[in-house]
Amino acid sequence: MEILAVRDMTFTYPNCKKPAIENISLTLERGELAVLCGATGSGKSTLLRMLKRELSPMGQVSGSVIFCGKALGELSDRESASEIGFVMQKPEQQIVTDKVWHELAFGLENLGTPPAHISRRIAEMASYFGIGDWFGRDTAELSGGQKQLLNLASVLVMQPKLLILDEPTAQLDPIAASDFIATLRRIANDFSITILMAEHRLEEVVPLCDRLLVMDGGKLIGEGSPSEVLAGLGDRKDIMCGMPAASRLFAALGEQGKAPLTVREGRNFIESTYANSVRALESKTAPHDGEAALEYEGVCFRYAKNGADVLDSLSLRVNTGELFCILGGNGSGKTTALSAAAGLLKPYSGKIRVFGKKLKDYKNRSLYRECLAMLPQDVQTVFLRNTVREELEDCNAELKELPYDLSPLLEQHPYDLSGGQQQLVALAKVLAAHPRLLLLDEPTKGLDAAAKESFIELLKRLKADGLTVVTVTHDVEFAALCADRCAMFFGGKIVSEGAPREFFSENSFYTTAVSRMTRGYFDGAVTLSDAAELCRLNGRKES
Amino acid sequence: MRSFSEYNPIAVAVWFFSVTGVAMFCSYPVLMVISLAGGVLFFLKRNGFTHGKTHLFFWLLFAVLALANPLISHNGKTVLFVMNHNPVTLEAALYGVNSAVMIIGVLYWFRSFTQIMTSEKLLYITGALSPKLSLVLSMALRFVPLFSRQSAKISAAQTAMGLYKEDNIVDDIRGKSRIFSIMVTWALENGIITADSMEARGFGTGRRTQLRRFGFRTGDILLLTATLLLLGVTAAAIGTGALSFEFYPSMEMKELTFPGISGIISYAALVMLPIFIETEAELRWKYLRSGI
Repeated sequence: MEILAVRDMTFTYPNCKKPAIENISLTLERGELAVLCGATGSGKSTLLRMLKRELSPMGQVSGSVIFCGKALGELSDRESASEIGFVMQKPEQQIVTDKVWHELAFGLENLGTPPAHISRRIAEMASYFGIGDWFGRDTAELSGGQKQLLNLASVLVMQPKLLILDEPTAQLDPIAASDFIATLRRIANDFSITILMAEHRLEEVVPLCDRLLVMDGGKLIGEGSPSEVLAGLGDRKDIMCGMPAASRLFAALGEQGKAPLTVREGRNFIESTYANSVRALESKTAPHDGEAALEYEGVCFRYAKNGADVLDSLSLRVNTGELFCILGGNGSGKTTALSAAAGLLKPYSGKIRVFGKKLKDYKNRSLYRECLAMLPQDVQTVFLRNTVREELEDCNAELKELPYDLSPLLEQHPYDLSGGQQQLVALAKVLAAHPRLLLLDEPTKGLDAAAKESFIELLKRLKADGLTVVTVTHDVEFAALCADRCAMFFGGKIVSEGAPREFFSENSFYTTAVSRMTRGYFDGAVTLSDAAELCRLNGRKES
Repeated sequence: MRSFSEYNPIAVAVWFFSVTGVAMFCSYPVLMVISLAGGVLFFLKRNGFTHGKTHLFFWLLFAVLALANPLISHNGKTVLFVMNHNPVTLEAALYGVNSAVMIIGVLYWFRSFTQIMTSEKLLYITGALSPKLSLVLSMALRFVPLFSRQSAKISAAQTAMGLYKEDNIVDDIRGKSRIFSIMVTWALENGIITADSMEARGFGTGRRTQLRRFGFRTGDILLLTATLLLLGVTAAAIGTGALSFEFYPSMEMKELTFPGISGIISYAALVMLPIFIETEAELRWKYLRSGI
């Protein structure tokens, strides 16, 4: 059954000449899981908001949206609120009330559902999602993943027929994100709810979805089953860069036909198509044995007197001129280690040295002048002014010195920028202090694939200028592409470290998709370019 | 078999305001002593011998309050001694002690009240009065800690970026004020997302209902009836003047009659209600366990 039909929809924001979305037509069947992808600014969010009446932006509209046989405008307020559910990007800001149970009840309370009925529905929902354990907790205590799951549950409790999600996993760590996506798949299967989600973290969602929609410049340029759509996108590098590794490899090798999506399919594709007489690439690791830029020596830290050690005699040495990535799961103490290096937290024992000098010997905040700077996880916290220009003037940043161009953004409010742009402005502010050691906390969070690629280029350029960079991240693909050395953080200390190629090929679970795909067939292929090069070297199998 | 704090919040609140209301609007010494003794006993019953600082603070305050009155007020017939040409009278001294007993008693009650009345219970009570008010309170309760956490985050981010250039107070204050101004922007920005989320979930489409997590059980009704009954007897005794006590110009107590005595007994029973309930629950639990 057809749930949603959009016909020739065009929408133009007031005071804009170019339409934000143009001639969009699409239909969604009951129980379908459709993924909408496209670069930032391609009109994904606008399209999604046009489908939810309460959130539709003001402007000029033409075309029609038919929901379950009725025009969107003809639905009653209550139908519209309950039958089309909408989940947004930011987990925290969507939550309305202070208690988990109250948040679940909120939508039904608005609809005037009798209390006995509400109790029953939220009890069902809490059991289905396994929320029972934190049902009575404060919403503020939840982790990001739990918050987003709560947002999903509190929309589902209203029993929508169509669920729209706008980049729901952008702010989550990879594990929470894949849990969230698996939950969506389960909902679509179990309740035949139609799901339409915009997403830029596509590695996991594309293999699971029934339909892939690709937007570019306000137009729908691809629609259909994922492997067909991907096969047709081979030459669009800007769009392909967010896709699953298997399909990117497929495109990079210039193959035609049905693209592989999962690690398993990618593996089958490589083994059946390419030989493996050349197993490994020559390694060209240039060892860095310079001076130490940052040194931890037996550092211990805990937040509360009776709490557990978050840093458990951590020892680590980062050399000058290195790009060092610290990887690890949630709560392993990565961010704490970084904050301790930035002098924001005081360890109770052990020493931290920055350029050979102990932290406490940097008197009168001289640590933050031309020495060390930290970019926090939430880049919004960096901004204090109303325009980008004021921000930059505030810290005497020279636009010309920057390796990228910010001039088109100068008059905008920092909060109105996209995630990638915010990151660049924040970095400009940080670099204005001319640090020699740059600490980055999850710099790729919330960035789309294209922004991530340009950020990696930027980091490499900064490194070439002599900056030492220490990055804490969840993002293994990012670390594999840019790091000189990687370290795995677990239980408050470093458990393994090495150059990315050895580091990721020795790890079997915590590693890149390419490494998992080529394990045992090629040696030490960690990034896409490694794998593509190996395939080319070996040539096609004779069949 | 619930403990007192698990009873329906409305019943508990009515009981609390009955006890403290009588204590605040009447100054009959016997009732004041009952209120203070009950307040201390109830607090100890709930917390054991912890919270030493609270006790210390309350009793220091008691001493100050008790001593202050005779130094300020010079009414009363019986002069004890003269200080700085001002008479210090027995009546004023006792009046001071009496008010101190009243105030400290009420403070003890409120200390226990804030422990028992979690935010959720307060919202339940306000929800019974006005669902809208309750929602606003609930949103505020979520927002206040969010605001302070975000400003701590911004402050840390700015420190690590060298916002505070020098190690001095002026620079600190300038930095803090800038953080506050961006926090206002942040709050408005977040407010828009929250408003969207509310609207998307049908806020304002019609009459709201409210989910109640606390039901009225037989025990709650019993507690409520007992409270109102005992309060009624006490109030009647006070209202008819059966319980009156004059400090000035000289202490004068009306002879106790039957309504007076029953007023005192009712108030004592009212104050002891939660202690009865807790003891009963404990005994019953013990009995049940021995049966298992």
